[in-house]
Amino acid sequence: MLVLVTILLPLAAGAMLFALPREDRSVTRTVGVAVAVVVVVTLVLAGTSEWSFRWLSRPFQAAFHFGATPTSFWIALLLTMVSACAIAASRVARLRDFVALMLLLEGTMLGLFLARDLLLFALFWDLMLVPVFFGLAGWGEHPATAWRYFIYNFAGGLTLLLATAAFGVIYGSTDVIGRAVTPLVGAWAPWIYAGFAFAFLVKTPVWPLHTWMPPTYSGLPPPMVAVVSAVQSKAGLYGFLAIGLALLPHAVHDYATPLMALGAVSLLYGAVIALVQNDSKRIVAYSSLSHLGLVAIAIGSGNALALRGALVYIIAHGLFSAALFLLLGYVEEREDTRLLARLGGIGWKNPKLAGALCIAALAALGLPGLAGFAGELLVLIGVYQAGYVWPVIVALVAIVLASAYLLRLYQDLMNGPEEADVPVRSDLNWYEALTVAPLLAALVIVGVYPAALWHR
Amino acid sequence: MPVPTGHYVALAAVIFFIGVLGVIVRRNPLIMLMSIELMLNAGNLLLVAFARAWLQNAGQIFAFIVITVAAAEAAIGLAIIVTTFRPARFVDVDDVRSLHG
Amino acid sequence: MGSVAYPLVVALWLLPLAGAVLCWAFGPRLRSACGWLAAGLVGVSFLLAVASWGSATQNLGGVLGAHQPLVSWMPGFDFGLLLDPLSLIWTFIITGVGFLIVFYSIGYMDGDRAFARFFAYMSFFMFAMLTLVLSDNFVGLLVGWGLVGLASYFLIGFWFERRSAVAAARKAFVINVVGDVGMMFAIFLIVANVHSIGFGDVFAAAPGLSDKLVFAICLALFIGAAAKSAQVPLHTWLPDAMEGPTPVSALIHAATMVTAGVYLVARCAPLWNHSGSAQLLVATIGGVTALGGAILGTAQWDIKRILAYSTMSQIGYMIMGVGVGAYEGGVAHFFTHAFFKAQLFLGAGLVIHALHNEQDIRAMGGLWRRMPFAFWVMLTGVLSICGVPGFSGFFSKDAVIYGALQHGHPWIYAVDIVTAGITAYYMFRMLFVAFLGEYRGEAAPDRAGRESEHGTHAPGWVMNVPVAVLVVPSVAVGGALMFGGDNSPWSRFFAPLYGTPSSRAIAVPPISEGVTSLVVFLTVIAGFAIAWQRYASRGAQADAPARLRRETERMPAVLTNLFYVDWVIERLIVRPAQRLGELFGRVVDPHVLDGAVRDLVFWARWLGTLVRSFQTGLVRAYALILVAGAACFVVYYAVAAGLR
Repeated sequence: MLVLVTILLPLAAGAMLFALPREDRSVTRTVGVAVAVVVVVTLVLAGTSEWSFRWLSRPFQAAFHFGATPTSFWIALLLTMVSACAIAASRVARLRDFVALMLLLEGTMLGLFLARDLLLFALFWDLMLVPVFFGLAGWGEHPATAWRYFIYNFAGGLTLLLATAAFGVIYGSTDVIGRAVTPLVGAWAPWIYAGFAFAFLVKTPVWPLHTWMPPTYSGLPPPMVAVVSAVQSKAGLYGFLAIGLALLPHAVHDYATPLMALGAVSLLYGAVIALVQNDSKRIVAYSSLSHLGLVAIAIGSGNALALRGALVYIIAHGLFSAALFLLLGYVEEREDTRLLARLGGIGWKNPKLAGALCIAALAALGLPGLAGFAGELLVLIGVYQAGYVWPVIVALVAIVLASAYLLRLYQDLMNGPEEADVPVRSDLNWYEALTVAPLLAALVIVGVYPAALWHR
Repeated sequence: MPVPTGHYVALAAVIFFIGVLGVIVRRNPLIMLMSIELMLNAGNLLLVAFARAWLQNAGQIFAFIVITVAAAEAAIGLAIIVTTFRPARFVDVDDVRSLHG
Repeated sequence: MGSVAYPLVVALWLLPLAGAVLCWAFGPRLRSACGWLAAGLVGVSFLLAVASWGSATQNLGGVLGAHQPLVSWMPGFDFGLLLDPLSLIWTFIITGVGFLIVFYSIGYMDGDRAFARFFAYMSFFMFAMLTLVLSDNFVGLLVGWGLVGLASYFLIGFWFERRSAVAAARKAFVINVVGDVGMMFAIFLIVANVHSIGFGDVFAAAPGLSDKLVFAICLALFIGAAAKSAQVPLHTWLPDAMEGPTPVSALIHAATMVTAGVYLVARCAPLWNHSGSAQLLVATIGGVTALGGAILGTAQWDIKRILAYSTMSQIGYMIMGVGVGAYEGGVAHFFTHAFFKAQLFLGAGLVIHALHNEQDIRAMGGLWRRMPFAFWVMLTGVLSICGVPGFSGFFSKDAVIYGALQHGHPWIYAVDIVTAGITAYYMFRMLFVAFLGEYRGEAAPDRAGRESEHGTHAPGWVMNVPVAVLVVPSVAVGGALMFGGDNSPWSRFFAPLYGTPSSRAIAVPPISEGVTSLVVFLTVIAGFAIAWQRYASRGAQADAPARLRRETERMPAVLTNLFYVDWVIERLIVRPAQRLGELFGRVVDPHVLDGAVRDLVFWARWLGTLVRSFQTGLVRAYALILVAGAACFVVYYAVAAGLR
């Protein structure tokens, strides 16, 4: 029951927020943060408990079945944490509508990650696009971006729905996520897998299906892009873990080489582009393309250690990309620009901002002792153990490139002589610092003791 | 001596084609609506004729449904015609082309 | 394996971390107390290292030294600390020399606007370096490896308003990540084949591994070692790293961090012992670096860059020593080098501090009269680094050079002897140009202690005492510990790890150790004589400014361009990567990938336009089409029925 509350609470709160008077910013933020924090608590209390209600019996069995699996629990916790931080950090125009969308986004994504039924998963997959679409349409820089985002991801949603329907008809039930089921084999299996894989690859995104992502990430307001890049992008990877590998392991295995090849191309492609971008949010966007290629490689390898590492890396990437986007939002708020060429030397007047950005960037480039390294190392050890040498070498090259572009990002913003012509405003206040502190603390904890993620 | 079913079919075909011709050739929407009624009634005639031939009531019942639908359609069609052509002097369907591609 | 001293090891490991956290969190409030706090905690750490001496050399339960796992990532991934003779030596230098340098920094950094941050970074560095040397497994080693790189990055870029410092820091970090990545690959090889990351397990399994595999592991590890220890061709970051404050150069880029590669090879001796080709590779690269660093050192004018190239060259010696298998020789050279190079850097720091950040030796001259203390410090340091008999450097350098011959590498032996002569030349060149003759600079050496624009003032006792303390070991420690071949205290200390030096020698050299020492000494004399003739003789001093200008102008381009290594890296790697990024970002992404999607959109629109033309809007036309369609169906079925 508590798991249902966890999902419905942000949805209901988001819908109710629209009833508030439009200009009441402080009440809006208080309500938003309070709900987001309560959701963290209810999620932890709910743990892996389940709630189920019969939905369809023909043409296949389906149920409103919610409940966290050990994998999805951590992703959902990441989601609630990032959402709480992002809502607290929201300072956009028309705040009431924005916070309402953020809560709806959180609720639909909780529904996605906690769904134990494939049809429910597909339903929330499409629903979670809606708040982001309106976020892009209402607060983005270009309306075309919203359509591009929606059409790409909705195309993915379509193949996902087709694959789900086909799976349900063949298997007889879609109430299968997180259960020990006999893997699906036969002539249809590769096609069903193709339907799932297309949706997941678009969402992650993986080269060459990524072109919606850089404009979306640079166009969205920072709090929403933090949630989208940190958690929504993980929906595809979670899908590979919970659906692909669990239900169609043979298909995943048969087509592992193309998956790993796409992951490897993403790794290098994103890293090389990130080297020369001028827009700081685009650097992080392309770094996201690069970093998530690593998880695709891990999934392709199918090695147990690599998959554990993939979970660590999913969490780590969520934490550091959310922190990076929130902090770049603070930078942009202070300096009215986010172009590297225009900025420099902020660190002298903003040591806390610089320190926080430094930790986030270091986690992203895989500094030992922070979460990114733990995930990276486990993934690569596993992939190498599985006998794949080339993906490992590509990933190592990408790690070197990552250190170059992330240091460039950090140094061009924070170091160097102070730019005289940009406004310099005060350092992070305690409230702003509090919005990123949980993310940075979690990065350190997971980095020092990643075993926490599978000792549950 | 009962009339053979073939005669009914022939009559219905003739009525139907009169209706089709009316829809295609005439430009007055009222006449076109009447032509559509003709086609529907040709269908009704067939329904009743075959119901009689095979001794099943379903066809006759269906004819009533068709008549009901035809009445509803006439009502809505007339309403549309009235609203569409109220500002215009002439009643000509070819003048109404706002749905062209 | 529990040992009484184990909590001491944990404490000495974590104390600098506590210092870093305290200085970082309370820096603005503690202000000047930060320096004393950091120095005090490192000092305690040093005392704990001394206190755990006994347990490091004990042989408990088959494992040498104090060892115990702390935390487990997962089965087979246990993290623990290991204090054995090798890590103990490094711990001594890190905490001992580190303490002196932090102490010195209290004076050197006084008045800097980020005083507290400096000590936070220094403490963090020492924690990271202790992690590196105390770890009992490869992943812990890699963690330390990465963290010292980070500390080095922070401290090189400490004055981050300077673009050159920022660029140098980034370069150092990225090159060190290349090394980290090499070590990661070694770990993959190790885990895939040994299924453990613990040193004990891996070394025990080493004899069973194939030659190729051991060579691959050694090669991958050595990429890490070469990056960290500035070995050719990954050395270019070290001279640039001199952008950091001088105490940083002394501690990180001379005494401790850059010798991590030496530690790595010495630690993994069981692996290298199983691969002759890996040994040859390491020894060759060490020899090339020693010679190359020395040659480049002769062309520098910046006092810190001269010391940087000499560091590179001396680390080349150490790497060569551990590479040929003369492990205790290489480690001995690390040990003495830490003292005399720290002393040289701190002495140079005294000069730089007094001259308001002037580092060019052409703008110095005649300093020995104005700063006699600094002169004597530098002189003893130079004598020691040149290996003048009696000084510490003599014993350790001879051990390395003779080790090359003992292990059957006559070519490397010859290179080493030549390098020793060049070393004497450029070190005395630096000493003569900076300290003899007439003062050529503009800034007046400042002894009054008045505040200058950077808040620097003349060195006080806080800076002089640590330097004076360092002079003692850099003169005497070699004679005290390393004299007497197999029976020296040094060799006996390492015997449990490596056995005695002569027992491992594979060749009986035709030249005895005494003769070697004599030859080395003669080349040193020759180098000294050339330097004297060119810079210190009466004639040279008479027109020193003109001579120096002439020498600057005539310096061969290959030397001023540092053998074009940077140029090649820039052209072959950096720029192609950037071009590729621009190609992908400006052409492939928007025009090829997105272009494909736009093509899809285009054809969909085209199809739409085509179909639109059927929608005339004429009701009667629709009716006609409908009827025509129906007629087609009727005709089709009629024909089909007719055919049947």
